[in-house]
Amino acid sequence: MSAVLALEQIGVVYGQGATAFTALQDISLEIEAGEMTLLLGPSGSGKTSLLQIMGCLLRPTRGRVHLFGNPLASGLAVEAMAALRLAHVGFVFQHYNLFPTLKAWENVAIALDIKAVPRSSQRQLALALLERLGLGDRAEHYPSELSGGQKQRVAIARALAGKPRILLADEPTAALDGKTGQSVAATLHGLARDEGVAVVVVSHDPRVEPFGDRVLHLEDGRLVGDRRPQRSSV
Amino acid sequence: MTEPYAARVSGTSLLAWRNLSHDRARFVVTLVGVLFAVLLMGVELGLLLGFARTTSGLVDHTAADLWITPAGTTNVDIAGRLDERRRFEALAVPGVASVDMLMMQFAFWRKPDGGTESVSMVGFNLASGQGRPWNLVEGRVEDLQQDDAVIIDQLYAGKLGVTALGQTVEINNHRARVVGFTQGIRTFTQSPYVFATHRNAQRFTFFRPDQTTYLLVRLQAGADAAGVRAALQARLGRVDVWFAADFARAAQRYWLITTGAGSALLLAALLGLVVGIVIVGQTLYATTVDRLPEYATLRAMGAPNRYLHRVILKQAAISAVFGFSGGMLLVALVVAASAGSTVAVAMPLGLVGVLALLTLCMCALGALVSIRRITRIDPTSVFQ
Ligand SMILES: Nc1ncnc2c1ncn2[C@@H]1O[C@H](COP(=O)(O)OP(=O)(O)OP(=O)(O)O)[C@@H](O)[C@H]1O
Ligand SMILES: [Mg+2]
Repeated sequence: MSAVLALEQIGVVYGQGATAFTALQDISLEIEAGEMTLLLGPSGSGKTSLLQIMGCLLRPTRGRVHLFGNPLASGLAVEAMAALRLAHVGFVFQHYNLFPTLKAWENVAIALDIKAVPRSSQRQLALALLERLGLGDRAEHYPSELSGGQKQRVAIARALAGKPRILLADEPTAALDGKTGQSVAATLHGLARDEGVAVVVVSHDPRVEPFGDRVLHLEDGRLVGDRRPQRSSV
Repeated sequence: MTEPYAARVSGTSLLAWRNLSHDRARFVVTLVGVLFAVLLMGVELGLLLGFARTTSGLVDHTAADLWITPAGTTNVDIAGRLDERRRFEALAVPGVASVDMLMMQFAFWRKPDGGTESVSMVGFNLASGQGRPWNLVEGRVEDLQQDDAVIIDQLYAGKLGVTALGQTVEINNHRARVVGFTQGIRTFTQSPYVFATHRNAQRFTFFRPDQTTYLLVRLQAGADAAGVRAALQARLGRVDVWFAADFARAAQRYWLITTGAGSALLLAALLGLVVGIVIVGQTLYATTVDRLPEYATLRAMGAPNRYLHRVILKQAAISAVFGFSGGMLLVALVVAASAGSTVAVAMPLGLVGVLALLTLCMCALGALVSIRRITRIDPTSVFQ
């Protein structure tokens, strides 16, 4: 199977001149569909930066990104990157980033709306996604009326709207208690296994680790580990 | 908002509406700002139009194609005199169907209880009716045949000391009797129009029987108006020959520009526009800054900039629609109140359209600052 995402000698430097800071250095790796990849490393090691490179949010200072085998132009315009994100990438954030004035289903419908899904089917699709994440009875609630785990599930439903091939999550369980975090991690893993989505999760959470099909280790902006743990039970 | 409705509106409309309605205090400030801007613009522009219509009212209400005026005339209220023989010269020009005399002269009006006001005597040809008063609400134009008969407007009845039909007054020391009232014939000079037959008006104002002020020309069907006008000008020499519409516009220009009333009103309307832009800009920007993380999230999700712009513009549009509706309601009250006063606020549909457009522009301009701000938004900020 060809890689969904391939990074080729990626380097990221923030700032210029005296204040220049190298956040990522010479990162080459491939992300496969149907796998949940964990991205581990100490604080400041460049995990979020790498996730942003994968998600077409950040342009690498050096190196090349390949999406479905096609190299992205190095000077890709901001709007072109947005269009790539829209078409292929779903994001899940540590703090959910739901729209507080929209109900759960409306949060999901917005993602469909941006993707120009016809208005008449937005509600149906949004409700179906929420149902799939076990939130069928929470569709009419506002984010402020949901628990942390429920919010993160709404966020995952929103990220899945429009069927992206890549799902990127930055510390999705950090704000959740252990059991809830574990079930969110299981959900993400299920998406990779059952739907063939390429899932990449940045996490410090030991309860997430067992769900990784593959574990990448970053240190000081370098890739220092890439292993596939033998799975026993998930 | 009910669910079926929310299911039908677009995402940008939904976000726009929720952004506004979840920040009610600020929304109210926005609406009040738009409302007062609309009120200010509406009243000032309505006054401007009302004054313009007043200054050219007499011209607009005749059916003449051409006006022959004493040379150098700038407006219908102030003019020199023409000899009656000019009328026969004009009648001799091919293409001319008829020529009527219209007299206009300031005069002194002595009220029944004493006290004097200045008035504008209008003398017209009763037979042709060119220059006759319009909107008569009491009496008949034909009653003007009597030697001392005049018609005035109800709006000025109080000023002229008249309370009922049949009352007698003095015009330039001649006895005069009010035989009719019109409704809404205003004058910009504040010397009310007093209508009489041409002959009576001559007598009231000491015009010689062979003198008049204007000649109103009607053309034969199919006549070349520009050609006849040139021929009249050549034939009559020291007079001005106008198309009626041009003469009307000249009167408007004269009064609104020479008195400074026009620029004062326009300036006040502009002020309303600027105040509106500033208030809408301020409140919209504050709302936008509050919601920057949400805009960054949309951007991270891959929404193009125009999607974000649409949310902001729709907020502006919603503010415009509600503010405009409220503002126009107040404007309508002012218009209604002005109907019974000597100063009219005109509000034809066209002006309502112009105001609607101005309101939309105002809100769109107010939205510009917010749009600039979210265009520069960094989607990676969602990870911080
Ligand atoms: N926009 C930026 N400008 C300058 N430096 C930045 C920027 N973003 C990140 N950095 C720096 O780059 C390095 C890597 O940051 P990054 O956020 O990728 O780390 P991380 O592994 O996600 O850390 P954490 O676990 O704390 O989230 C850090 O030292 C950080 O200070
Ligand atoms: Mg991070």
